[in-house]
Amino acid sequence: MSARKKVVVPLNRVEGDLKVHLEYDGNKIYDAFSAGTMYRGFENIMKERGPLDGLVITPRICGICTTSHLYAAAKALDMISQAVVPDNATRVRNITLIAEQLQNDVRHHTMQFMVDATNPVYENAPFYEEAIERYTPIRGSSIVSAIQSTKRVLEIVSILGGQWPHSSFMVPGGVVSVPGANDIMQCKYVLRRFKSWYEKQILGCTCEEWNQVQSARDLEDWLESSPSRYSSDLGFYLRFGREAGLDRLGKGTENFISYGFLDMPRKTGVKSLGSTGYYFPAGFVSSGMVRQVNQHEIKEDISHSWFTNDETELHPYEGVTIPYATGSEGRRYSWAKAPRYDGHPAETGPLAQMMALQHPLFTDMVNQSAPSVFSRQLARIVRPALTISVMDQWLDEIAETDEPFFTPYNDIKNGQGHGMVEAPRGSLGHWVIIEDGRIKRYQVISPTTWNASPRDANGQLGPWERALAGTAIKNPNAPIEVDHIVRSFDPCLVCTVHCADLRWEV
Amino acid sequence: MSLNLFWLQCGGCGGDTWSLFNASSPNVVDFLEAQDINVLWHPSLSVQSHEEHRETIRRVTEGRERLDVLCVEGSVIRGPGGTGMYDDFDGSPKKDLVYALAAQAKHIVAVGTCASFGGIGADGEIEATGLQFHKHEPGGFLGEDFVSGGGRPVINIPGCPCHCDVIIGTLSAIAQGTPPELGDYNMPLEWFGVMVHQGCTRNEYHEYRVEEKRMGEKGCLFFYLGCHGPLVHGVCNKLLWNGRSSKTRVGVPCFGCTRPDFPQLYPFFETRNIEGIPLELPEGMDRAHYMAYKGMAAAAAPARLKKRKTRI
Repeated sequence: MSARKKVVVPLNRVEGDLKVHLEYDGNKIYDAFSAGTMYRGFENIMKERGPLDGLVITPRICGICTTSHLYAAAKALDMISQAVVPDNATRVRNITLIAEQLQNDVRHHTMQFMVDATNPVYENAPFYEEAIERYTPIRGSSIVSAIQSTKRVLEIVSILGGQWPHSSFMVPGGVVSVPGANDIMQCKYVLRRFKSWYEKQILGCTCEEWNQVQSARDLEDWLESSPSRYSSDLGFYLRFGREAGLDRLGKGTENFISYGFLDMPRKTGVKSLGSTGYYFPAGFVSSGMVRQVNQHEIKEDISHSWFTNDETELHPYEGVTIPYATGSEGRRYSWAKAPRYDGHPAETGPLAQMMALQHPLFTDMVNQSAPSVFSRQLARIVRPALTISVMDQWLDEIAETDEPFFTPYNDIKNGQGHGMVEAPRGSLGHWVIIEDGRIKRYQVISPTTWNASPRDANGQLGPWERALAGTAIKNPNAPIEVDHIVRSFDPCLVCTVHCADLRWEV
Repeated sequence: MSLNLFWLQCGGCGGDTWSLFNASSPNVVDFLEAQDINVLWHPSLSVQSHEEHRETIRRVTEGRERLDVLCVEGSVIRGPGGTGMYDDFDGSPKKDLVYALAAQAKHIVAVGTCASFGGIGADGEIEATGLQFHKHEPGGFLGEDFVSGGGRPVINIPGCPCHCDVIIGTLSAIAQGTPPELGDYNMPLEWFGVMVHQGCTRNEYHEYRVEEKRMGEKGCLFFYLGCHGPLVHGVCNKLLWNGRSSKTRVGVPCFGCTRPDFPQLYPFFETRNIEGIPLELPEGMDRAHYMAYKGMAAAAAPARLKKRKTRI
């Protein structure tokens, strides 16, 4: 039995500050504890504020998924005020949400995930020279190209919503803007330019061609079928991923949750990929079975978190956030709460969306070799191939109709409501209670809170703790595997509203 | 000689970083190259290992590496109870790192409202504060008398987020050796000498007091919907966002995000008023004149505005 060793691995190039505490047993990670290092106390900032203040404050939780928080906040208020959201407002909300997701997926892949391919541990790998050329920070060809294209696609949010990041154009009952025919045309031009860039730079083929890839076997054939595919960012990812063994890393909990991505307008030519009221269906996936998501089944456990409360497991409508900084103690080690669905930890994000959808390619990959860094990151970088076309269709539908973008809503005095959306990183929920025209309680469960969750009262590890535990490390002094695993979840620690860190290494 | 820049994220959301990446002319890559800026650290750009990062910090704080510009994004978090441990770096409060770097920096830029004035969390349990102001009060984290190595106070470029052109413009001026002239709250006059109201496409509606009580209309949002456009300084309607538009143009009230008291403690989306006239009047205006002017303006409003026929 080799000596157990405790190390702390801090990670940058994630949104916010993150540290992972690992226990090594020889070259194997024996145990993992994930802890963010900042607590910003948003839920308590919201108390006693005006009923619409969530629309202004919560986007500021996160500078990269600001529109997603706005969407969740607006949906919670829709519910409380029993607002009727016109189809055109749903379209505008969705179009801006997709634009945000497009920039996030591309930025995360090129500026955060793939930069690890340039790590010196790979200097003898066949892909290394190409990795340096593509992904050297600030200078790499893929990075420069991604910076250019992602800022352009965000113009869509600005045309429809005033600015990105941090606007508040979604309100209960719809959106405040009334885009004219030329605004919609401009959005179409911006999207068209992004699509052609994405197809050339990222995919190396058209979205339609990519969407023909339906199995792990198809994926093999796809890569070798043309030089443009082989040399695209996706082509490079497949080659790098194979070489680096990403398909053998980071299995996780094998449970997935998705709240349903993109509310379907009541009347639309867009065909839902599932059977619920969303373009991407909602679902909780466990042991390969997809179940409907019921928000009553969501609880947050604080048995290992630095919060004080008599109950350790509460639904977010009952949730309280009382920081309790006790320093080193035996059990509590994180400010992240531990969300559980029907008692289970669950991974959320693009791969979870694909699993809830039972996408043939990803279902096949997961069935063959379990979830992994490889399939998780692949789901993210190819997700735009499924969303660009619906965005375009909804733009056309806005142009073709003369319907309103807003219907007046009832005064918001008392009530409770929740807004559940799919942010770029996965399932995001806001649970709001308003009394006497003031916010009484505001609880946010962000995607990274699911993914970065600590243990719960039953000792179940959170998704990326589980993905790390048991991993064999080639070089304990440079555990690049940890970077790949954690980054494949696209961590957003600024969103993980309750976050701080416990120093416990000996 | 290249310019060494260190970008520190504290109690923030990363929004100023992503705003910076919106820049078009120049974009962030061209800007760094044009001004020969050597990024010692930026959390979204740097590829250094943690050990290399720590070594960079040691070199800077021990005076072995020049620090020409320190950009701070996010508030300085002092909670709980002044310990700063709600935001730690390597087991020590990050505020200590802010102090150590600030002591070595030739120029310091507070990027965004949180770093400038405390912003989100300035009233809360995390005890957030700005670098040299706490809301309207001089002082903040570094203290009123603090000057950087270049002999200047912290340059505040507020906004939630700060506009990309303001970030790039401020850093360009510093790189050229001509730091921007500062006005109130040590904000550069170049960008904060203009009101958000100036350039708003709803101006004509405002002039004739064609004011909206509900959202989703074309008129002015100042009287009833809580717009701060005529009250606060900012470039939103001069430089526009993402090269395209602004909140007020599309019908979102300005929330006054460049103001030292953002986010205000009273509700958004509504205007506090006295007998139907806003409590806060455009800067420099007295109530009696304002009431007389608005009464006449409303009476004179052309039908095309009253009927919302004028496109915005």
